[in-house]
Amino acid sequence: MLGQQILNGLVSGAIYALFALGFNLIFGVQKVLNLAHGGVFMSGAFIAYYAVIVGLPFWVALLLAIVACGLISVLIDLLGFQPLRKRSLADAEFGAIVISIGVDLILATIAQRLSATKVLSFPFGTFPVEFYRGLGLRISLLQIAIVILVAVLLAALMLFLKRTSFGRQVRAVALNERAAALLGVSARSVYFQTFFIAGGMAGLAGVLIGLSFNSVHFLMGEPYMLKAFVVVVLGGLGNLPGAVAASLLLGVMQTMTVVYLPAGLSDTLIFGTLFVVLLFWPNGLFGGASVPAGQGRQ
Amino acid sequence: MMEFLRSNQPVFDFFLLALGFAYSQQIVLRCGVFSLATAAFAALGAYASALLLTRLGLPAFVDIAAALLVGALSGWLVSIPLAHLRGVYQAIATLGLVEVVVSLALYAEPLTGGAVGINSLPKLVGTPALLVAVLTTGYLMHAISGSGLGRSFDALRQDEMVAASLGVSSRRNHALAFVLSGAIGGMFGGLQALYAYSVQPTQFGFAFMVASLTAIILGGRRSLLGPAIGAAILTLLPELARPLAEYRPLVNGVILIVVVVFLPQGAGDTLFAALRQRRVRRLADKMGKV
Repeated sequence: MLGQQILNGLVSGAIYALFALGFNLIFGVQKVLNLAHGGVFMSGAFIAYYAVIVGLPFWVALLLAIVACGLISVLIDLLGFQPLRKRSLADAEFGAIVISIGVDLILATIAQRLSATKVLSFPFGTFPVEFYRGLGLRISLLQIAIVILVAVLLAALMLFLKRTSFGRQVRAVALNERAAALLGVSARSVYFQTFFIAGGMAGLAGVLIGLSFNSVHFLMGEPYMLKAFVVVVLGGLGNLPGAVAASLLLGVMQTMTVVYLPAGLSDTLIFGTLFVVLLFWPNGLFGGASVPAGQGRQ
Repeated sequence: MMEFLRSNQPVFDFFLLALGFAYSQQIVLRCGVFSLATAAFAALGAYASALLLTRLGLPAFVDIAAALLVGALSGWLVSIPLAHLRGVYQAIATLGLVEVVVSLALYAEPLTGGAVGINSLPKLVGTPALLVAVLTTGYLMHAISGSGLGRSFDALRQDEMVAASLGVSSRRNHALAFVLSGAIGGMFGGLQALYAYSVQPTQFGFAFMVASLTAIILGGRRSLLGPAIGAAILTLLPELARPLAEYRPLVNGVILIVVVVFLPQGAGDTLFAALRQRRVRRLADKMGKV
């Protein structure tokens, strides 16, 4: 029973990681919170759902969702965040949160109208339902696929950021956009690519969540958005490996609290943890947040 | 005028409540604190007054006063741990606080009634009481603007380092802004509970936070009339655009984006700045002719 809960927690933690990493990547590069990330996540699930309904094979729907969400995310950057870059840090922080709330409202309304406020579910057999048993544990084919997919993607992302020229450009812009521009790095292309990657990962996470819980609805992004805050705070804002560790921790913590504590206390405990961590370890449990928590604003 | 007000009285009442919450949001933003805790203060105030009324049968005046005190106290308590956080970290921490308050209200069912909330409260608060509360709050905000406190807040918002070097204590002023925000938020939360017959935890979630933030974005972070303009647009828009009712969040979203991109000071503050500039120019012209 305990082992099964830990396993389930790790699988949902893997999806949190997929979602929170994009959110964290955007923060690391641009130092703003993108609250529309939940809306992009929800759009991914919707796009895949309608693609499957139209009759496309599942893997095409998945790819379509990833690319479309990447483009939505790039669009948010171009229309919303680009104009903020010339302003001071405090104004950009404030403006970005408000703009992304606006985008989130727009995406949610469109989805609500499309689905007529109903909860949609993927047709039976979209993904083969098979279970494997071993060591007293039960794991579904979908769960295995999720873990492999997330692990491969995360490894690719880390390699990409650490080993390629593009990754070095991203880190240069994250450190100091001006200096990077003087050295010939095109900040515009870096923003374009980070937002595309972040959006694509959010879209993929949306499809995977929509499949695992078999429900797709217009408000599904909100709880994940709020959980992403917990993940990035535990892991350190802008610290990517920290975010992965924190996601797995959060996944396990959530399944444990849901199973072993009275109903309803799970959220209290999770957000209480967020508060406590911000008080005592404001730069994350592993340190290394890219913007110091206590820096005065100018 | 009176006829118009009477036929639109509920809209006017909603406007007054929204304005109260907007002031609670404005006072912290003015001080440069990115707090989203107004929803939490409002929830605490609403539950405090509803519980005092239903459990102890205290009169409405005492309930509202208690809501105000609960709000102020929680504002002060929140300000202590938040003293060493800035910017997005303040936003995340206060967002976490709102979630904790809402989920506790859902969990503590014997006390708060859980998801159903506290219902069938008597309606003890009407338009006059709301009007008095808003005018008092407005006067308070006006008095702060004209005093050294307002200037300290403005200095802290514009550049904390410079403010600190001039001897403006960020810790003290931030704490004061939190207490004021908590008191105003708690009081209007209490008023809302006794106005709207019921209190439910879902009233104080993400949507509440977005609404009070939107009012300030539309209105502006400094002026006294700004939040009134913002709250008026937010409450009147759904009334004027009935055919668009289903797309209301979409319209709100578009407004948010357009205002932040093109009017970074907020519609109200930009308007007042433009008017002031025109007055100065006219004055300059006149002086030039003489």
